[in-house]
Amino acid sequence: MIRRALRARLGSRWIGPLAAGAVALLAAALLAAAGLALAGYEPVAAGRALVSGAFGSWERFASITLVRATPLILTGLAVALAFRAGVWNIGAEGQLYAGAVAAVWVGLAFPGAPAWLLLPGAMAAAAVAGGLWTLVPVGLKFRAGVGEVITTILMNFVAIHTVAWLVHGPLQEARGVFPQTDPVALAARLPRLGSGRLHAGFPVAVVLAGALWWLLRHSAWGFRVRAVGASARAAAVSGRIHTGRVVLGAFLLSGMLAGLAGGVEVAGVTFALYENLSPGYGYTAIAVALLAGLNPVAVLLAAGFFGVLQAGAAAMQRDVGVPAVWVSAIEALVILAVVAADRFLRRGVAGKGGG
Amino acid sequence: MSVLTVRHSARALAAACFVGGLSVGCGGGESGPEGDALRVALLTSGPVSDAGWYAGAYEGLLLIEESLGAQVSHQQTRSPAEFDEAFFSYGSSGYDLVFAHGFEYQDAALRAGEEFPGMTIVVSSGGRISENVRSLIFRLEEGSYLAGMMAGGLTRSKVVGMVGGVAIPPAQGTFRAFEAGARVIDPDVEVLEAFIGSWDDVAAAREAAAAQLNRGADVLVHNTDAASFGVFQAVREAHGDEQPVWAIGMNRDQNDVAPDVIAGSAAIDIPRAFLRVASRFIAGDLPSGAFDLSLDEGVVDFIVNPAALHRIPAELLARIDEARTAIREGALEVPRIRFLEGESGTP
Repeated sequence: MIRRALRARLGSRWIGPLAAGAVALLAAALLAAAGLALAGYEPVAAGRALVSGAFGSWERFASITLVRATPLILTGLAVALAFRAGVWNIGAEGQLYAGAVAAVWVGLAFPGAPAWLLLPGAMAAAAVAGGLWTLVPVGLKFRAGVGEVITTILMNFVAIHTVAWLVHGPLQEARGVFPQTDPVALAARLPRLGSGRLHAGFPVAVVLAGALWWLLRHSAWGFRVRAVGASARAAAVSGRIHTGRVVLGAFLLSGMLAGLAGGVEVAGVTFALYENLSPGYGYTAIAVALLAGLNPVAVLLAAGFFGVLQAGAAAMQRDVGVPAVWVSAIEALVILAVVAADRFLRRGVAGKGGG
Repeated sequence: MSVLTVRHSARALAAACFVGGLSVGCGGGESGPEGDALRVALLTSGPVSDAGWYAGAYEGLLLIEESLGAQVSHQQTRSPAEFDEAFFSYGSSGYDLVFAHGFEYQDAALRAGEEFPGMTIVVSSGGRISENVRSLIFRLEEGSYLAGMMAGGLTRSKVVGMVGGVAIPPAQGTFRAFEAGARVIDPDVEVLEAFIGSWDDVAAAREAAAAQLNRGADVLVHNTDAASFGVFQAVREAHGDEQPVWAIGMNRDQNDVAPDVIAGSAAIDIPRAFLRVASRFIAGDLPSGAFDLSLDEGVVDFIVNPAALHRIPAELLARIDEARTAIREGALEVPRIRFLEGESGTP
């Protein structure tokens, strides 16, 4: 009986939002098409390029769309976890860079180590570095009461400029010619899945999303995180929750996830450290996490959506000749339309379905 | 509104995107190659609206389309992760020739070259080569040397400045040549040098240029992409009729970007270079390894700004012409920095 009630509830819950999603997508597509037509491009051809760029074949979907989604999943999880705990970590970008530096350093420093040791070592180093990168904002938050929004953003700049210095200085390739590191040892690279570019970082990200969902939903720690995020004062007053410790843990773990994103990107995609390694994954992650309603499993889908959008946008450039600026503008339009339609329609759904 | 609804509708929304996209994706066929036309692609990591390095490459691509009837495509990449992806996209859709316009593509090019043996990749200013990955080296220092002579002849304060993007050998090489050219005219010229760490940061370029102007420089050369607008702007602001301040363009003929202050441009005729590469590729005699294009081939030159011609001493122009002839004939060797892996004299 309980099961039947559950199923009925789930059913009614899904139909409304699905319709909302469809309408949002339609609105986004119309807006983007109007923009393209205004600029003098074939909207239908551009739309076809977008879809075939993201989904044209399994190999393309795996090699481009999923590869793009991977760092967005990990950073999206980082942001979602922090926000759940009421920590406004805007610093996933910097933490990602810190993780990338650590993974590259490990991958260069121990060229003789076996893969079973080197790869996990590099990934662990990336996660630890990402966590360490939150220490300054954490310290300032707890000791001086400085808001983490400002400090995490500032630490992003520190990370980006530190990377620039590293690739021109201590970590520059042995020849000392170009601003990049040497490629990391083969043993420090993530294995490829299948014949394309998809690497083992993707399943790892998916598993982590599931694990984080379970932790938040079913573990005592997850309950404390949610309680603190919902109302830190109420959680503190209850007397059972040490809010400071919960916030600290969530902040560190968030940094570690973002750091791991950097490590995975280096070990799975670029194999070396460069300036501008990230096209702003840490910032897009905020949109991913919010679109996912801070739910780790929904982060998978939201990151997938952004992966589709980015893969498709690149194909619009290649196949239809839409310039990069227009592509970026259309990307932003689509995101705006999806978020706005989501908001408007959710009101109606919430009024009807409760939930 | 409760947290639950927020989460569920967002999740459903993302799911709908996935499902919706997939079904359309299965329906839409991929655009296949049209007949046996040559398929040529261009990758740039900056905007082709920079009136310089990337703009020239894009013109080259269009010239290849027009002259050789090739099917062309361009993508602007934003980060190293996109390099591999772009090569993968072009490789898996059967492109024959890819121009990767900058050294930054070299590692990804080597990987892609291995994965797609049927595709030839030409990396501009690339430092690494393989079977099907070639390096296209523009001997821009020859044009830059002549530009340096112009600067040495024009400066009244005996201080000239150089604003560069990222400190890499191809850029540093042009500055060494510029310096040498300036000192041929006047051995006492002081040369200032700054790298802003970016090719398209207009604000940073403007600051660096203003700093050099404040230190007394009255001729500035750049080697950046879109950031050059910042240099020209700073020069314009400092320019006075009593005390003329000059700028010198680089990479492409930029004389019409700021005709009032630009004395001339050390330019690469990138379209011509690209067309030459593509033609030789079709003919099957594209040299393996590195492909040098210099002043002698007419690909590199220093182009005096016609609008400024009347303000430049005829004697100086004559000396520049002499040097050009000497370079072309091999009588004058311009200093350069070698950066091709394995080439003698490289680190």
